[in-house]
Amino acid sequence: MNPTDIEITESRPLSNAKLAIFILLGAETMLFVGLIGAFLVFRMGSVTWPPISHAEINLPRLVTGINTILLIISGYTMFQALRAIQKDKIKQLRNMLIFTGVLGLLFLGIQGSEWIQLIGKGLTLQSGIYGGIFYVLIGCHALHVFGAVIWLAIVTGKAIRFKYSYTHHTGVETCTIYWIYVVALWPILYILVYLA
Amino acid sequence: MDIWLPENVSTFGQGVDNLFILIYWITLIAFILVTATLIAFLILYRHRPGHKATYIEGSTKLEITWTTATTVIVFGLALLSYPQWNRIKSPTELPPADVVVEVSAKQFNWDMTYPGPDGEFDTEDDLQLENQLHVPVDKIVHIRLTSVDVIHSFFVPNLRLKQDTLPNRFITVWFEATKPGRFEIPCAELCGFQHSGMLGYLTVHSQADYDAWKAERWPPQ
Amino acid sequence: MQDNENKSHENDNDEHHLPANGDNGTESHDHDHDHDHDHDHDHVHDHDHDHDHDHAHNHEESFISKYIFSLDHKMIGKQFLLYGLIMFFVGGGLALLFRWQLAYPERPVPIIGASQQYIDDGEVVTAADRMWEKIFDSDKEEWLEVNMPSGVIEPAFYNMLFTMHATIMVFFVVVPILVGAFGNFLIPLMIGTRDMAFPVLNMLSFWLAVLAAIIMTAGFFVPGGHAAAGWTGYAPLSADPQWTGVDWGQNLWAISLLIQGFSSLVGSINYITTVINMRAPGMTFFRLPLVIWSLFIVAILLLLAFPVLSSALALLIFDRLAGTTFFSSTAEGGGDPLLWQHLFWFFGHPEVYILILPGMGIASEILPVFSRKPIFGYHSMVYAMITIAFMGWIVWGHHMFQSGMQPGLGTFFMTTTMLIAVPSAIKTFNWLGTLFRGSIRFTTPMLHGIAFVSMFVIGGLSGIYMANTPVDIYIHDTYYIVAHIHYVVFGGSLFAIFGGIIYWFPKMYGRHMNDTLSKIHFWLTFIAFNCTFFPMHILGVGGHMRRISNPMQYEFLQGFQGINIFITMSAFTLGFAQLILLYNFFWSMARGKVAEKNPWNVTTLEWEAPTPVPHGNFAQIPTVYRGPYEYSVPGEESDWIPQAQPEHAPATGGD
Ligand code: HEA
Ligand code: HEA
Ligand code: CUA
Ligand SMILES: [Cu+2]
Repeated sequence: MNPTDIEITESRPLSNAKLAIFILLGAETMLFVGLIGAFLVFRMGSVTWPPISHAEINLPRLVTGINTILLIISGYTMFQALRAIQKDKIKQLRNMLIFTGVLGLLFLGIQGSEWIQLIGKGLTLQSGIYGGIFYVLIGCHALHVFGAVIWLAIVTGKAIRFKYSYTHHTGVETCTIYWIYVVALWPILYILVYLA
Repeated sequence: MDIWLPENVSTFGQGVDNLFILIYWITLIAFILVTATLIAFLILYRHRPGHKATYIEGSTKLEITWTTATTVIVFGLALLSYPQWNRIKSPTELPPADVVVEVSAKQFNWDMTYPGPDGEFDTEDDLQLENQLHVPVDKIVHIRLTSVDVIHSFFVPNLRLKQDTLPNRFITVWFEATKPGRFEIPCAELCGFQHSGMLGYLTVHSQADYDAWKAERWPPQ
Repeated sequence: MQDNENKSHENDNDEHHLPANGDNGTESHDHDHDHDHDHDHDHVHDHDHDHDHDHAHNHEESFISKYIFSLDHKMIGKQFLLYGLIMFFVGGGLALLFRWQLAYPERPVPIIGASQQYIDDGEVVTAADRMWEKIFDSDKEEWLEVNMPSGVIEPAFYNMLFTMHATIMVFFVVVPILVGAFGNFLIPLMIGTRDMAFPVLNMLSFWLAVLAAIIMTAGFFVPGGHAAAGWTGYAPLSADPQWTGVDWGQNLWAISLLIQGFSSLVGSINYITTVINMRAPGMTFFRLPLVIWSLFIVAILLLLAFPVLSSALALLIFDRLAGTTFFSSTAEGGGDPLLWQHLFWFFGHPEVYILILPGMGIASEILPVFSRKPIFGYHSMVYAMITIAFMGWIVWGHHMFQSGMQPGLGTFFMTTTMLIAVPSAIKTFNWLGTLFRGSIRFTTPMLHGIAFVSMFVIGGLSGIYMANTPVDIYIHDTYYIVAHIHYVVFGGSLFAIFGGIIYWFPKMYGRHMNDTLSKIHFWLTFIAFNCTFFPMHILGVGGHMRRISNPMQYEFLQGFQGINIFITMSAFTLGFAQLILLYNFFWSMARGKVAEKNPWNVTTLEWEAPTPVPHGNFAQIPTVYRGPYEYSVPGEESDWIPQAQPEHAPATGGD
């Protein structure tokens, strides 16, 4: 490799992989902008929300609120995982990653059981735009959490096999960025869909 | 280009045509300016042995000039257009109606509903005609547009009027025809396989004819 | 994911190694023989046959890893080019089919249609008649019988034709060529690096695009026919099969576009990362050639715009397959049909700038080279492109003036739309300024560059009519719009594409395209293009609606039939001209005049690389000392100074 090649890659503030993740998040944001836009159009276009046909539906605010807190904690633990590897504490990294993953799964589990209850109460994908946009928007986020959990599992697996070190942990970094993005998105959706 | 525009028979149509002609001149001049300069440069500065290009990186003064010039022109144009647009489409400037007709589009027809002598819709004396819109000349007509299936577009070229119709929503447009005659009402929004050929007719009557037409439809008991 | 800094160190002493391939370790073994490069190129010109084959041997790469699943940005660029060209002929062929119907409504298409005799009294005259007789005799409903009985295009089929014409042209021709082909080929070469940041993603992007194209084409053959709701797919027409009878066609349309969205997403992540992180030393942002600027901006637009379309497509698919009612207001608890339009155009308008910006970039390369002058106002060119890209996000409503959107919003969108004319004007006048006092050579790329400027101006100016709300009331959904579309995308993007292909062909394939054929192609295209699309303005002003299969059904349009016939004749000429291009393209690839390294005397880095460009592009990564347009610098004997040429006084060199 030429000296100049090294100069190029070393003089950049962000590595390719990290930069690529930030760029990807730009696209993710626009995907949610589209869906949230659709939600707002329905919301503004309807005299009452939920529409009269769904007046008896109450979204589980409290449980979801607790769930929100769980997810935010997972964001914190994920961040701690990154801090751990930056300080070369491999064991703490592992623990924090597992802890984060468990919280993520818990979040998904609670979401899932809520959905089952809601479907039982008659709120389905087909029951008008209220149910439709609820499941699509929240489901899209859940899908992202799911993806993040899988990614996290891969990273955790590597961490257990001691693939990361003080100097080499781009994999942890990119996963953290993604995880925190997915966590940060949730309160916005919670406030929009459940509270407002 | 006057010759290409179909005859205008509405009160606001002239405003539209005037703007069209104004833009025609602005863009024609811009086009001639650009093209003439282009051709002149191509001829003047074509490669000839012994001639060398002059090193010019740009000119801030020129940049500012053409930026301001275009900004002023387009802003001026926008300002001139606001009142015309509001006059035709703004719900707050809707002039009071002499005649109201409800037009409901469906694949692939225009259903025209007339309220009848009582002036109310959804009553006994409502009259529904397929693809036939009859209105008096020199009177303000409101059309309440809606659709039962997909989006269509109510287009009367001679009135310079076009408005999409939305399912389950009413949009009121208005016009005042200045001349009796029979004009076509094509559908201008793709609405299915017979979008081509979805066609209604607007008949503008003189007041006397209109009264006669009404009398024929709703004979006095 | 591997840390790339780490990687660079590992490879420290391997002279010709690719740098920083982010996340793939599988790459390395391909380049074990990289040392061969230089020998290879010393004798490469002696060979008469395809250079690429020599390479294949030298690298001991299999055909598959070299030509099919290639990771090399240049090969992927060429793959995109071929892909785009093939789809261009598909999309153009569909246009010719429906142009026939517009000129001669209800008449059988020549060659495949039955003769008049056969239609009148069933008497078989031609071979086509025999074919039709067989089709009509069979019990099965054959594809041709459903869509074109006796060779006459059915109204439903007409709708499929223009829908797919536009979808293919926009998503499978212009974007893949401008962004996929030129972006891939040019970005690493022009910024002076060895490859894209993520070669595997790059390959993925191409193959996703192929998958999307296959799905899109397959839609023609499913029961119910292909999507027929226009390339804009307006709901509720597109949202419920009961309105069109189209079932899986529309689903495949949406699915294919979703896949195409993934392809663009992956591609744009790659482009943005590469441009930000992998520029050669000394290649500051304001030393980037304008075409790279344009591709960089377009990558950002693609990245941000396509997910919005994806969200709309997802909702559409739910409506069609899962029984939701997001876009249909007639159902109980139903949604809003205008929502689709808002989402579509929020994506759609940035999309049309995606179609034009790389074209502007290409013109900005070609004009200075063949005027032997710097581009006029480099910085304002960059800022104008950025302004266009940003303002593109707040004008989408100009497609919806007559849609039932609040008229107040119309006023807002009219103002923003008209303001976009300002950066476009800056660009136009700067191109003129570039010609001013130049030394203009009328090579074929230059002809295309000049055609681009003048045709784009016509298309842009017609945009002003439509941006004007009152005038748009009348010309909306008429052929005035169709004229505008084609002046900007054909007159603009495609002329830039043609120019770009001819201009970079020597670098891509090591040979020149045949100039006589190129010139014939240019003039035929230029004249036939104007004859095809200029009269559409007249139709539009006459009120001729778009998307109608038979203008003769309207009294007020019957007088225009002559014009429609003329347009169709010109369109066939235009199509014929493209066959010349196709022939020339393939013929020159094998037989063209062998090109030297830098045949046009250009300053930018891609011409520093040997021809044909080896793996890793440069023997040594060049260092950049100046901007990209140093032509005819006073006091220099040569009329061009390459970006990589050090200063005369070494003390001032470097950055
Ligand atoms: C490459 C693609 C491209 C580009 C670059 C543009 C550029 C522009 N477009 Fe176009 N447009 C399309 C592709 C494109 N468009 C397509 C595909 C559609 C149809 C979609 C469909 O419905 O199917 C469409 C439709 C469309 C509409 C909707 C019409 C309707 O459906 O009723 C409008 C309305 O405002 C519009 C406006 C403009 C404007 C103002 C510009 C401006 O950016 C142009 C600016 C350029 C100039 C103005 C010329 C240069 C300037 C000068 C020479 C200076 C002098 C000028 C003045 C003083 C004014 N376009
Ligand atoms: C990049 C975009 C692009 C390009 C390049 C083109 C190219 C062409 N377009 Fe297209 N067009 C659109 C984008 C484009 N179009 C869009 C977005 C619409 C709107 C659709 C909608 O309403 O939804 C549209 C709509 C549209 C219409 C309006 C249809 C309608 O509203 O009913 C028409 C009508 O003439 C038309 C014609 C043509 C023609 C003749 C060409 C020609 O330039 C094509 C020339 C190329 C070829 C012909 C190559 C093929 C050659 C062969 C197959 C060899 C065989 C040839 C011979 C033997 C002669 N187009
Ligand atoms: Cu109704 Cu088109
Ligand atoms: Cu637009």
